[in-house]
Amino acid sequence: MKKSLQENHRENQNVPVSYHCVCRHLLELLRRTAIHGESNSVLIVGPRGAGKTMLLQCVLRDLQKEEKVQKNLLQVHLSGLLQTDDRTALKEITRQLHLENVVGDKVFGSFAENLAFLLEALKKGNRSSSCPVLFVLDEFDLFAHHKNQTLLYNLFDVSQSAQAPIAVVGVTCRLDVLELLEKRVKSRFSHRQIHLLSSLNFTQYLERVWTQLSLPDSFPDKKFAQEWNAGVKTLCEDKSVEEVLQRHFNSSKDFRSLHMLLMLCLSRVSVAKPTIKPADLLEASRMCFADATANMLHGLSILELCLVIAIKHLNDVYEGEPFNLQMVHNEFKKFLHRKSNSMYNFEQPVVMKAFEHLQQLELIRPVDGSSAKVQREYQLMRLTLDHSQIMDALQKYPQCPTDVKQWAMSAFG
Amino acid sequence: SQRVGEWLRSQHCKMVKDVTLGQHILIEGYDEDNPYVAKVTRLYGDENGQQMKAVVQWFMRVSELPVNKLKLLGREPHPQEIFYYECRNCDNEVNVESILRPVKHLDSNDPFPDSSDKDTLYVKLSWDSKVFGVVNSTVMESPAEPAPASSPPSSTPRGPSRRVLPTPDHAIMQKASLGEVGCSSVGTPANVEAESLHSATKLSASKCLSAKRRNATARTPGVRKRLELSSECSHKDFKMQPLCRTREQQGFLYISNTKSPEVENEKSPMVTETPRSSKRKSAMVVSSRIKKQLNLLENDQDLNSSGEEEDEFVPSKNDLLSSSEEEGQDEDGPNIDDQVSAKKFRYVATGSGNSRSKRKSYSSARTQRRTPAKKISPGTPKTPRHATPSIPIRSLQTQQPANILEEARARLHVSSVPESLPCREQEFQDIYSFVESKIIDNTGGCMYISGVPGTGKTATVHEVIRCLQHAADMDEIPSFHFIEINGMKMTDPHQAYVQILQKLTGQKATPDHAAVLLEKRFSNLAPRKETIVMLVDELDLLWTRKQNVMYNLFDWPTRRHARLVVLTIANTMDLPERIMINRVASRLGLTRMSFQPYSFKQLQEIIMSRLNKLKAFEEDALQLVSRKVAALSGDARRCLDICRRATEICEHSAADPSSTGLVGMSHVMEALNEMFSSAYITAIRCASTQEQLFLRAAIAEFRRLGLEEATFQQVFVQHQALCRIEGLRPIGVSEGLAVCQRLGACRLLLLEPSHLGVLQHIRLNVSQDDIFYALKAD
Repeated sequence: MKKSLQENHRENQNVPVSYHCVCRHLLELLRRTAIHGESNSVLIVGPRGAGKTMLLQCVLRDLQKEEKVQKNLLQVHLSGLLQTDDRTALKEITRQLHLENVVGDKVFGSFAENLAFLLEALKKGNRSSSCPVLFVLDEFDLFAHHKNQTLLYNLFDVSQSAQAPIAVVGVTCRLDVLELLEKRVKSRFSHRQIHLLSSLNFTQYLERVWTQLSLPDSFPDKKFAQEWNAGVKTLCEDKSVEEVLQRHFNSSKDFRSLHMLLMLCLSRVSVAKPTIKPADLLEASRMCFADATANMLHGLSILELCLVIAIKHLNDVYEGEPFNLQMVHNEFKKFLHRKSNSMYNFEQPVVMKAFEHLQQLELIRPVDGSSAKVQREYQLMRLTLDHSQIMDALQKYPQCPTDVKQWAMSAFG
Repeated sequence: SQRVGEWLRSQHCKMVKDVTLGQHILIEGYDEDNPYVAKVTRLYGDENGQQMKAVVQWFMRVSELPVNKLKLLGREPHPQEIFYYECRNCDNEVNVESILRPVKHLDSNDPFPDSSDKDTLYVKLSWDSKVFGVVNSTVMESPAEPAPASSPPSSTPRGPSRRVLPTPDHAIMQKASLGEVGCSSVGTPANVEAESLHSATKLSASKCLSAKRRNATARTPGVRKRLELSSECSHKDFKMQPLCRTREQQGFLYISNTKSPEVENEKSPMVTETPRSSKRKSAMVVSSRIKKQLNLLENDQDLNSSGEEEDEFVPSKNDLLSSSEEEGQDEDGPNIDDQVSAKKFRYVATGSGNSRSKRKSYSSARTQRRTPAKKISPGTPKTPRHATPSIPIRSLQTQQPANILEEARARLHVSSVPESLPCREQEFQDIYSFVESKIIDNTGGCMYISGVPGTGKTATVHEVIRCLQHAADMDEIPSFHFIEINGMKMTDPHQAYVQILQKLTGQKATPDHAAVLLEKRFSNLAPRKETIVMLVDELDLLWTRKQNVMYNLFDWPTRRHARLVVLTIANTMDLPERIMINRVASRLGLTRMSFQPYSFKQLQEIIMSRLNKLKAFEEDALQLVSRKVAALSGDARRCLDICRRATEICEHSAADPSSTGLVGMSHVMEALNEMFSSAYITAIRCASTQEQLFLRAAIAEFRRLGLEEATFQQVFVQHQALCRIEGLRPIGVSEGLAVCQRLGACRLLLLEPSHLGVLQHIRLNVSQDDIFYALKAD
């Protein structure tokens, strides 16, 4: 049952209403390439999690439903993260177009041959006879960093000349992507940009939560589905739930993070507890917002914690100037003097070891310029924690000695 | 006495090639694996056996044919197949030294045997640089047979066309042939010596430098003068000559040939001698062959004439020259100017030839070294491997545009080739006349074309080439070969060599090897070469640190025999000054052209001409587009794209009852907004609350610091404060970092690498005003 719910959750990815317009635009564009053989290029730009890839996939799914298109369109999917240079990209294109059987493995000899080969292949076609090719370039901005932008130039050039019809769809989250293009590449790009910016408000966001969680009518157990949907409805009307969701909404309108949150809730549902309670959502939200580095502080020993507190005091005194182990140790010793408590008497090597552990955890990091020549005790460091994080961690630290706590709270060391 | 010594030495060496008339031979070319093939039609030489010349009929190898014409053949060419070459403007005189060895050949009637013997070649068809034809059996007949009474059909249609086509290089051709005539027509050996000495000078291009240098002192100024004069006369004569040569003129040559059998006799042993192949042939064999050849020469006088009828061009000049020679001999008044120019010419020839001859000897040595190795390995014939990649054929037919808007969109697509290029008439004319004059004069040259993207540079050049090709098809100008390379379409500047070579000959080679081959091709007097017009697009990408690619590209046209016209295209006007070192920029020359961005009127005209009276746009709408684009960039591509987008928008709103079906102002405005508006402001408006707060916090921190940069930690403090002011729950550091990263991914913020955590520096990528504007509007 749980599984089916999760499945339902995953599948329930329809294009939001606000995107219907751009969706139609893109569909039209690609359909024209497929049916009329018109070459096009388009960029889909939007922040992360705005649904760029989802939009594209929806469009392609719709496109494949049309019989005319289905037989006609070849697809090549590239990602800037996978094809890190033009050489690998070209190989991948050749592979995805199933052209390698034409030449055996000979063509993969050199990059230059490969490029010439592919260009020739594209040049041979013409608008009416050859099969349109759809190039999807994920993380388009990374392709613009390739040497000379050869691949982009050639793709756009083909799309602007009477060769095999191709459609180039770039997907990127960078708003300034056009400035990355060289001017001759830019000139060949058709300058069609689809900006995906979700301007949804909180009520729409809530609706979205509701549709995500509710079971479809096609669910086999009708009775359970009704109960479940009623439960979800009450959940969405709950005041505390609304507050949590509002907070999430304020932080980001990204659907992916919402899905993450809802998935965490959903994983708590079991046969024994077949509904989502508001407490589950609160718990999930707490997990989502948990501060990773603050959590790391909980695992430190008392000595390490003391050192962090000493560093914090140093930072207060010197206003964020870098410090070294000697300074920190002195600060720590001052605290020990005041307390005259032998409990925390540590040898210098032990302190050093603790300090190094902090460095390994990247709670402190060496200042950029400092070289390895400097003795370790005098190497300049900076703290990568915010003070609020330290205080939070102290509050939650199990069995934290009161004097340490007080020392941390006190305004001056 | 020195000459006698040399003569003896050469005799002693007995380096003889068993070349007989009518035999098919291989001639050293720039490609060592595929030497040129030709049939010897005539042999002659100068006085001391150092310089032997052969007049040949060329044959084309499969690999020498233009790749795109191969399909005219209609079948797969046999790797060993050769084609009888009928072309007017090729040099058919070669240096005997460049002859490698004879080969067997089979005639058209025999089928291709299966043997992969590299030395057997098959002639089936003829090739006249445009179409394949059936080889006329008369031209293929062995030289021993008498020539047919009428001239062979292959040469008849060429009579008039030869006149129409101005010959490439009058001076060179005439001088070359002048020497030739000297051998055959003048009876006394002394004369022969002087004349052929002169011919040596003329033939400097065909690597006869050593002989010339040796004999430079032996020249008598009188003879030289006279020859110059006579060449001058012949020049005039030639111009006034009626187009068809008459039999009498032909006859004159025969007579002159018969008159001097001794000369022929004396020379023919030398013909067979070259300083190389002695190792292979025994002296006995050689002498017997010489005898045979002498017999041939003496017995069949007609042989020469029939041979000469085949090489259409040079013989006709021979006649003219030999007649004019007579006149020239009567004249005694030495012309000082002529003498001076002759001297100059010689000087230049010697100077330029020196290095070349060295290179030549080196390469020939290499050829020799390599040839045996080739024979040992019975490898498959080396034909360029042409994989034929292609995108699969579509299974369904493309739909034709159904309504006016679709039709307009198809026509407005950048790729659709317009019938004419409006607004670039002047540039078109300039380029056209430049290239045309170079083709007609058979010289080379460079031109640099600059202009911002989308101003029609490449399109104009293609248009020019199309027109020239048409003219060449109509036989108005000599045919030429067009190749195109693009700096962006290669992975490395040195790949340019590979691509040029491949487009010229279809060969594949490594960049270094290709550079060597091209160098050879462009610097040597290669036979049957047509002018090459090369378009180099995106020139700036061919830049290397030593600039040797650019250097070579611009240096080749300056070679005497290159016949190369290079048109280069790049975006920046001052590219030669900016990135080229002096010696490269100097070779590029000053033939420059700059394409100005289109003005709004021109853009409007371009759209109108593309639409071609198709009523799809309102007048105002067109004007708006063209004005807007002209103000921004003058890029025609942009203009067409906007129009195309506008038709789409129009189509979408067609359901609207108020629409007229034409693309109006509103549609164009929408398209313009889509393409030109920046998305930053909308992006900020659509960002989440925390993201907006973070931007404000960043600005607040910048104001506080008086800098345009702050660390995340500093901004985060401001952010916490702002959260409290806004009544929101302050967020944690991790969440704050996430917000910051999201903004960085959209490039609203510029960030340092994220591993720095709270210490990373933050800068804004948008102006503060934009942020205020965007946030205030809510």
